[in-house]
Amino acid sequence: MSSLYERLGGENAVNAAVELFYRKVLADGRIARFFDGVDMDDQIAKQKSFLTMAFGGPNRYTGLDMRNAHKKLVAKGLNDSHVDAVIENLNSTLRTLGVPEKEVKEVAALADSVRADVLGR
Amino acid sequence: MTPLLTYMDRPVEIAPGETVLEALLRAGIDAPSSCRTGNCQTCLRRAVQGTPPAESQNGLTEAQKAMGYFLPCICRPSSPLNVAPPDDAGARLPATVRSVEALAQDVVRLRIETEAFPYRPGQFLKLIASDGLERHYSIASHPEEDPFLEMHIRLHPGGRMSRHVMEIAKGHRLHVAGPLGTCFYEGVDKDQPLALIGAGTGLAPLYGVLRDALRQGHRGPIRLYHGARERKGLYLREELEALARARDNFDYAPASLDTGGDLAALALEAETQRASRTAYFLCGGENLVKRLKRDLFMSGASMKAIRSDVFSPASL
Ligand SMILES: Cc1cc2nc3c(=O)[nH]c(=O)nc-3n(C[C@H](O)[C@H](O)[C@H](O)COP(=O)(O)OP(=O)(O)OC[C@H]3O[C@@H](n4cnc5c(N)ncnc54)[C@H](O)[C@@H]3O)c2cc1C
Ligand code: HEM
Ligand code: FES
Repeated sequence: MSSLYERLGGENAVNAAVELFYRKVLADGRIARFFDGVDMDDQIAKQKSFLTMAFGGPNRYTGLDMRNAHKKLVAKGLNDSHVDAVIENLNSTLRTLGVPEKEVKEVAALADSVRADVLGR
Repeated sequence: MTPLLTYMDRPVEIAPGETVLEALLRAGIDAPSSCRTGNCQTCLRRAVQGTPPAESQNGLTEAQKAMGYFLPCICRPSSPLNVAPPDDAGARLPATVRSVEALAQDVVRLRIETEAFPYRPGQFLKLIASDGLERHYSIASHPEEDPFLEMHIRLHPGGRMSRHVMEIAKGHRLHVAGPLGTCFYEGVDKDQPLALIGAGTGLAPLYGVLRDALRQGHRGPIRLYHGARERKGLYLREELEALARARDNFDYAPASLDTGGDLAALALEAETQRASRTAYFLCGGENLVKRLKRDLFMSGASMKAIRSDVFSPASL
């Protein structure tokens, strides 16, 4: 059985999804404010990191890295509802790209698995 | 024998199979990183000598690749590399002022001469007046057409470099370093629409890019939007109008606030329809560049197709 990342199409799948996903996030009034002020070019690269991780691709982030990356956002009020919103946008991005429901669920579960670290709990 | 890895000319030991990031960290050099798998670009560095392996430039723009930028966390070099931080301007070179002329009430055109300064129009350089007084300025000249480096400098009341520039004349000596920046005509399809949007002296790099695009035979439509507070601040207007009349594929769209023109509104209204196909160059103040970048991206422009320079004030 090939890995989730391979089934999704690897790096090409990440590249196909990243701008679509980021447009959805910036258009989502529930979470857009967390992405203010950071340079857009830098953000796109960070989104690639996020998607690679959520797709089960190669990454070396630890739980501590995730805590540190989102520390400032938690201070600005990041909570469960925002994680839900990000996962919703992720799901709709994958559906737009025609990814089968089974893989959509696997990606959502993977993203959800770091919830506690992202929220610093 | 040249060492495989040097950092700012200092030799750094690198073991077989080791990445440049690992080697820099082991040598105690301050090297930021995050994902360590080539996605987040936190570790971005530049090879000022040598060619980084292609896979270490994965995901970077064509202009970044041309400038030698690469990702140390996934770079295992097979030939010598001399590495520097991304904003390092390199050695300073002596330069001589050739002319200082007024382009508008508060904008001057400074032309200087220097030896061997390879650059691409639209990049910027560091102008060094004395120790402690150095500022970045974009390059409006073309290396194959002009025997000088041209800058358009807005004179800020009380600005330290502004005051210096007002006092200098032909023959004055100063220094430059660089070039830096990735706002140049690279990775653009010759048939693609090209939109150049800038406010104030943001015209300088765009003027350079425009001439380079025309010289390289750009065939797609080119639209230059220039904004200024006052109509008389739309410098080079006559020249650009004449160029627009002479060239089928070039349009010039000026906007000045005093006559009700709004640069961002003008550009966005015309561009949103074709944003996904167009190559963009955005230059000027932070608010303008941020707004345009975001709105164009949301209208379908790819981030890779948007090149920009923010003319942020110097920190000292
Ligand atoms: C990549 C890059 C490219 C640049 N290219 C150009 C260029 O082509 N032409 C050009 O004219 N400038 C350009 N700049 C800006 C330039 O580097 C200087 O910051 C500017 O000329 C002011 O320098 P100064 O010493 O005269 O003023 P300073 O002594 O540094 O500042 C004096 C005061 O002037 C005001 N001020 C300074 N800069 C700005 C600003 N950008 N907007 C609003 N108010 C300001 C502030 O109130 C500041 O306190 C560029 C900057 C960057 C980062
Ligand atoms: C659902 C699980 C999540 C995962 C797996 C995740 C993953 C990541 C990763 C890998 C990075 C890059 C870190 C780096 O290299 O610097 C990152 C950064 C970031 N994330 Fe998340 N993230 C999640 C949830 C969220 C949520 C809910 C928000 C806000 C609504 C958010 C906002 C951000 C922002 C703004 C950055 C950039 C921070 C910076 O540049 O300083 N993330 N995330
Ligand atoms: S550390 Fe993320 S790209 Fe190198």
